[in-house]
Amino acid sequence: MAYALVALGFVLALNAAGAVNFAHGDLVVLGGAIAVVAGQSTGLAAPLLLPLVALALGCAGIVAARVAILPLAARPPEATFVATIALAAIIEHGLTVTLGAAPRTAPALVGSGSFDIAGVALGRQPLAIVVVGGVLVAGVWFLLERTQVGRRMRAVSSDRHMARAVGIPVGRYIMLSLALAGALAGIAGLLLGHQFLVAPTQGAGHMLKAYIAVALGGWGSVPGALLGALGIGFFETFVSAGFGDAWASVALYVGVLVVLAFRPQGLFGEPAGRRA
Amino acid sequence: MSRIFLDVGDFVVNAGEVVALLGGNGAGKTSLLEGILGFRPTARTVKLFGQDVSSLAVEQRVALGVGYVPEGRRVFAGLTVRENLEACSTASAVERRRRVEQMLALFPMLGERPDARAWLLSGGQQQMLALARALMNEPRLLLLDEPTLGLAPVIVADLLEHLARLAGDGMAILLAEQRAGLALGAAGRAVVLSRGRVVRMAPARELAADPALADLMAAG
Amino acid sequence: MRPLGALWLAALLALPFFALAVLPPFGQRMVTLVGIYALMGLGYQLVFGQLGALNLAQGALFGVGAYAAALAAPALGVLALPVAILAASLPAALAAGPVLRLQSHYFALATLALASIVNLIAVHAEGLTGGANGISGFASVLPRGPVLLAMVWTCLIATVLIYVHLFRGRLGDEARLLREAPLVAATLGIDGGRWRLAAFVAGGALAGLAGAFSAAISGVVSPDVTGFPVMVLCLTSVVVGGSRHPMGAVVGALLAVCLPEILRDFQDAWLLVYAVATLAIVRWAPGGIAELIDRLRGARSPAPNNPTVPQLMPAVSGAQRLVLDNVVKRFGGVDALAGVSFAVGRGEIVGLIGPNGSGKTTLLNVIGGLDRADSGAITLDDAHLECLPPHAIARKGLGRTFQTLMLEGDTRSADLARAVATGAIFLLLDEPAAGATDRERGQLASLLHRLRDAGRGIVIVDHDIELLTRVCDRLVCLDRGRVIAIGRPAEVRADPQVRASFLGLAEVAA
Repeated sequence: MAYALVALGFVLALNAAGAVNFAHGDLVVLGGAIAVVAGQSTGLAAPLLLPLVALALGCAGIVAARVAILPLAARPPEATFVATIALAAIIEHGLTVTLGAAPRTAPALVGSGSFDIAGVALGRQPLAIVVVGGVLVAGVWFLLERTQVGRRMRAVSSDRHMARAVGIPVGRYIMLSLALAGALAGIAGLLLGHQFLVAPTQGAGHMLKAYIAVALGGWGSVPGALLGALGIGFFETFVSAGFGDAWASVALYVGVLVVLAFRPQGLFGEPAGRRA
Repeated sequence: MSRIFLDVGDFVVNAGEVVALLGGNGAGKTSLLEGILGFRPTARTVKLFGQDVSSLAVEQRVALGVGYVPEGRRVFAGLTVRENLEACSTASAVERRRRVEQMLALFPMLGERPDARAWLLSGGQQQMLALARALMNEPRLLLLDEPTLGLAPVIVADLLEHLARLAGDGMAILLAEQRAGLALGAAGRAVVLSRGRVVRMAPARELAADPALADLMAAG
Repeated sequence: MRPLGALWLAALLALPFFALAVLPPFGQRMVTLVGIYALMGLGYQLVFGQLGALNLAQGALFGVGAYAAALAAPALGVLALPVAILAASLPAALAAGPVLRLQSHYFALATLALASIVNLIAVHAEGLTGGANGISGFASVLPRGPVLLAMVWTCLIATVLIYVHLFRGRLGDEARLLREAPLVAATLGIDGGRWRLAAFVAGGALAGLAGAFSAAISGVVSPDVTGFPVMVLCLTSVVVGGSRHPMGAVVGALLAVCLPEILRDFQDAWLLVYAVATLAIVRWAPGGIAELIDRLRGARSPAPNNPTVPQLMPAVSGAQRLVLDNVVKRFGGVDALAGVSFAVGRGEIVGLIGPNGSGKTTLLNVIGGLDRADSGAITLDDAHLECLPPHAIARKGLGRTFQTLMLEGDTRSADLARAVATGAIFLLLDEPAAGATDRERGQLASLLHRLRDAGRGIVIVDHDIELLTRVCDRLVCLDRGRVIAIGRPAEVRADPQVRASFLGLAEVAA
């Protein structure tokens, strides 16, 4: 579920800014790190940290795009790739310098323990992650599909030029999308940070999974990204149960290469008629 | 209030009239429309509703009461018909819904499938959606760029009828067209553009009868 | 690309000699490292700098080279170096086919996945790679110290010189075209697929060699050499140094090796500094530091090599007639071309006219192979063109220019000159006079006449009907994918159906 949040943020930023953000994974780590530090210094419980982290990373998402994506809009996509990779390295090494390289634990969302449901033991923590993730995904879906703000965000990512021509203040909606993308990354960082700890070097891994989810689910498609993320989650869980984590990842990457070799447009293709 | 809704220096468009903007491919029709909207700099002084708009951004010019139907329609592909219309509205929720229903009633072609995604619509339906979208905020000036391109004759006739009715209600309409025959039938006056400059200005009926028009149009 | 300046050459040659003569072993080791990173970076420039494709597998190929050298050294000694080159270029060649067809964002993803696989294997295939502990104890048979330094720098200097030599001439122009205007490249007969494959494999080979050297210098190979940080280091150093400048990789490597020494007291801070520098360079000096130095020294940045049309037009030999027979092209349900037939002979100029959307550009695209005809035949004498790729059609003697200039700083005449320079017998010109002044139109007309007199056949699309009337032997008028008139310019212009089509009255007339 946390993957879904990462992928959702990734695709929102992709649609709003029109570019891959290689630093998205490091925004996730940054979210986790802020949760660690804020948790230690304020002693606040995780549910209270959640909005704090979301707010901080919302701002970080905007700053990231302002620094490394939006100024390069007129250049070939590779310029943005390099700029965001550099940004990712800045976040990673910035965290290493300030916090050290050792992994740390983010505060738990709820107390430990488990429920017994029909004889299956469910940890309270994983359950809480699924619930929080589910609520957020549903919330974002509601925002995009059912509100005027969401419609306008989608109109802006569909055709920025035309959106201006019907009087939508495009700049404001792009910033909003980027802030939302950052906030989702931050929350994902907090959720992942308890189970898998927080270490500065994790960013690339998070980013790669979101990238794969979006590429497989259909470039730029929000439901596709969610499906892709859930698919990756299930795939890893089941394959790693049989063969171990590492080989599950190898199988996943080989799968990606095979898909790209046979379907250069991604598994479900680009969304039809971006510019009808 | 003056009845001159658009003034670009070498010609004007008044309330209640359709002006055809003619010229071959590359004559500068799209550049002129984009200059009026503020998408690109133009050497002309553009006045909308009597106001010099050179310092205004695109959104601000549109907010003065300008509707725009771009070349190639450019509907928001992933949004439904209803969402396309709603996204353009600046009005309150209640008023917004009223306008959408009004548009769906005005364009039966859209009223039939309000919840279809825009990229699934036919070319004619997309063109009507682009027009309806431009009308959502009740503009006083409408700019259209090659709206008949690729449409069946029946739908072209339907579209031009809509324009005539809108002009009858007092709207000022600038219709950029390459197919002069069609545009002259719908317009009161016409302006012929060549390499960005106005080379001819005349009542539509007079121009339609002019044998030199074919050469003017073909010259680009 | 300009020849390497004397200063650069002196710096390149002086550094290893200075190191060997003056520096203590520690300093020599650093200079050797600079050479190793520079070799990897130079290989990376081939794909990233010259072709503009973001390859994220270069670090992994470096690692493959290191492992190959470590595994082969005990048995083969110094011969482990060529083995490492092979080991790295082989996966590059295998992956190249499917990967190189991808669009930019999928290309980056695919190479990243490839790199991750290599890294996971390095960590987990313990039988082969020794797992997280890596491999050691092989270095005694490999060159070390001053000998290694000399080897590394000999390879580096040779590679830089070859690189400069290759990219100064035609290859540099080809790379620029492939990078900035792939369609133009294809219509000039440049086989982009083969080009990219060669660049990818050569880049991999250099990475493998660099990896092998790095195994020799460190004496240990661990999974770290295949990791993403190596890739990021390679990418950032090439960007900081200059992604196309022949000395870019060397400058970048020099900084990457020296910065950590300067900032030694701040642990990882040097990487932070380096990342910030990369970002700044991408935004404000995309040419990199090497180019910045050139500019400060007053050297002009290399102006794009714009060809000009020769005054004396050499005659060409080859096919006599280009024939279109019932060519059909559909887009969706629309017939963009609904059975077009006509022929062009050598020494003839044929003008294509018709209203917007009548299929003129589509027709040129279909003839040139950029779009495939759905049916019908296009023949050049006896050779069928309709199933050949664009670069093969270009090599048969068909040249093409484009409606809008696809290259920055390019001119209309350069586009035309390139098409002429391929020795094309038949030229397809798409709106060569768009936006031209009256004087330029006059020059164009006389150029077209000279081309015709030198035995070329020309098909020209333009909206300037006066120009076409002046220069063309025949006009063909298209309307909604059909030929509605064909003949001498005055006849076609007087045709009532043609006049109606320009007024958009075609439906009425038809």
